Amino acid sequence: MIQKNLKINYEVWSERLTKIYGKGKEALEAVSKIDLRVKPGVHGFLGPNGAGKTTTYNMLVGAISISEGKAKIRGKKAGSVAAKQVIGFLPQDPVFYEDMTGEDYLIYMGQLGGLKSKEAKRKAQELLDYFDLFDARNREISKYSSGMKQKIGIAAALIHDPKVLILDEPTANLDPLGRADVIKKIRDLSDKVSVFVSSHILSEIEQMCEDVTMINHGKIVISDSIKNIKKSYVSNLYILDTDMNEKFLEMLKNIDFISKVRIEEIDGKIHIIPKDQDKLRELIPQMLIKNKATLYSFHQPELSLQDIFMEIMAKKEDIKK
Amino acid sequence: MKSNKLNLTDEIKPKVDGFNNKVLQPIKSWFSKYISKKIFIVIKKTFFDIYSLKKLIITIIFLLFVPTIFIFLPTGVDFGLISTHHAATIISIAILFPAFFFTLGIFFALMIGFSGSSLIAEEVKSGTMLILVSKPISRIKIFLGKYIAVIFYGMLISFISIFTLGWIGVLMKSANIDHFISLLPFLTALYFYSLFILFLFTSITMALSSIFKKPRTVSITVFILVIFSFIAFFLIRIFIGQFYGIYQIYHFDLGYHLGNVFVLFIETLNAIPPSAAWQMLFGQLTGVYSLTSTIDPDQGINLGGLEKTNYYLPIFSLLIWVLIAALLLFFGIWSLKKREISI
Repeated sequence: MIQKNLKINYEVWSERLTKIYGKGKEALEAVSKIDLRVKPGVHGFLGPNGAGKTTTYNMLVGAISISEGKAKIRGKKAGSVAAKQVIGFLPQDPVFYEDMTGEDYLIYMGQLGGLKSKEAKRKAQELLDYFDLFDARNREISKYSSGMKQKIGIAAALIHDPKVLILDEPTANLDPLGRADVIKKIRDLSDKVSVFVSSHILSEIEQMCEDVTMINHGKIVISDSIKNIKKSYVSNLYILDTDMNEKFLEMLKNIDFISKVRIEEIDGKIHIIPKDQDKLRELIPQMLIKNKATLYSFHQPELSLQDIFMEIMAKKEDIKK
Repeated sequence: MKSNKLNLTDEIKPKVDGFNNKVLQPIKSWFSKYISKKIFIVIKKTFFDIYSLKKLIITIIFLLFVPTIFIFLPTGVDFGLISTHHAATIISIAILFPAFFFTLGIFFALMIGFSGSSLIAEEVKSGTMLILVSKPISRIKIFLGKYIAVIFYGMLISFISIFTLGWIGVLMKSANIDHFISLLPFLTALYFYSLFILFLFTSITMALSSIFKKPRTVSITVFILVIFSFIAFFLIRIFIGQFYGIYQIYHFDLGYHLGNVFVLFIETLNAIPPSAAWQMLFGQLTGVYSLTSTIDPDQGINLGGLEKTNYYLPIFSLLIWVLIAALLLFFGIWSLKKREISI
């Protein structure tokens, strides 16, 4: 019973969700026994190309079958009409009915979502306005730019008032301005709907999401809040900047609990990797006082999601080897 | 209009009906499962995807081209001197053969094949189906919506073609409205037969469209089937006719079964009187009639027509192929339901 309630509380929930293509020796496990736990808010889905993100999304929206395991969207079986009523989906590189106008396309999508004709038209105009496409509403989609198409795709996903928005690489093929615009819209939308968004551009995910799930080779590598992930992946790199960096460098080179020390050419600061971090934190103030040096900064740089992702992937590859 | 505020709070609430009794509820749930407003949305979209006035006119010209040539052939009859009924029969016989083979045969089946081939296969291939199946509409409704749209389009085309053909026949031969009225049973028989062809070939096309990846493969398969049905078996009957009955080739001869069904509609609506004038040619081409006259066994009188080969009773041919069409329809639905949709 508790388990059942948990499923309902999650926007997206899966247990040992698996997709196998082919049979016998040629069988390929594209997604392998993944347990998704997507809470309300914006949840990022990260992974390199071919990691299994799109396959997972396609299973969640019922486009492809689930080979093993199960998945639920707000407690409703993934792929069912009831589950699809609460999700809005934007596939990677979406394809539209190019001969339809933006407004007609949205009305059609709205009606398929269960809206009445008048209601669909009202919603379509509201969304066109929201996505700054109102002036282009009577233009054929074939004449839209990539950014406009991406926005009409998100609008089409939103038109039947879903509770969960599943966006597969929504910023792909967009220029920097288009990306920034789409990211802003997604962030704004997160007040009203939960968003489960994938990207292989990690800096974008960092801008949009509170929680992330990282996937590689069809398996979940890590799933947590960005805050927690960053906490657990604190670097042992320290950066020191004083008015006598050269002198400090020479002194630090002779310390036995420091494994690496050098002055970084780009910033001119001393980059230190100690074997014992506590000892280093004690030593630096003492050195500063003894040498009457002026301290500009002494800190551990925060790792970006990109750095952490690279580190996790590198570790996994090492384990494999 | 520029408010740039988005209201996403509107809930789509299911309609609550007061008539919740044990009899109505199952009917309603069946209705909402298979037939709902969403299906009409798909029908409307699909119909206008395959319909355009220009395309409609070209298709009808194509369908009417061969029968019109036949109508132009001289009959040597002065229509002013014969009865209305007789005149209508002559016009019917002039139209009958090309209508069966071309207007409602090869051209009509190909038109259905080409119109329907892309409806599933193309959408899957291009990627638009991925968005469609992610919407809260079942795949059954998507399939049925597209299927019914092709049926409606075909009904429109065959209606216009058949009744225009009747008018052309009347205008070319007599220009008398009474002749057209007398022709109505024949035209109605043609229309009913066209519905049968429409049901059969739409089921074939849509089932193939659900299986194959490329729309071109669907079109080619329908094309081959049509050629086999209307031409290959005809050649077999002409050149190696002795084997046709011995090896019971008629079981697989769709052309024979179509001819049998065609004759069933003609006879049921009493559209043309039995006469060797049309049965001989029709029998040679479809295998429905043998070349022996129907003689009354008691009186020894020629009853005015040829004997049927009766490999199958016409009603059986109709039922068998209606059943096959229905099975293909279910197979198409099942295939789309099981199909993996991704770009």
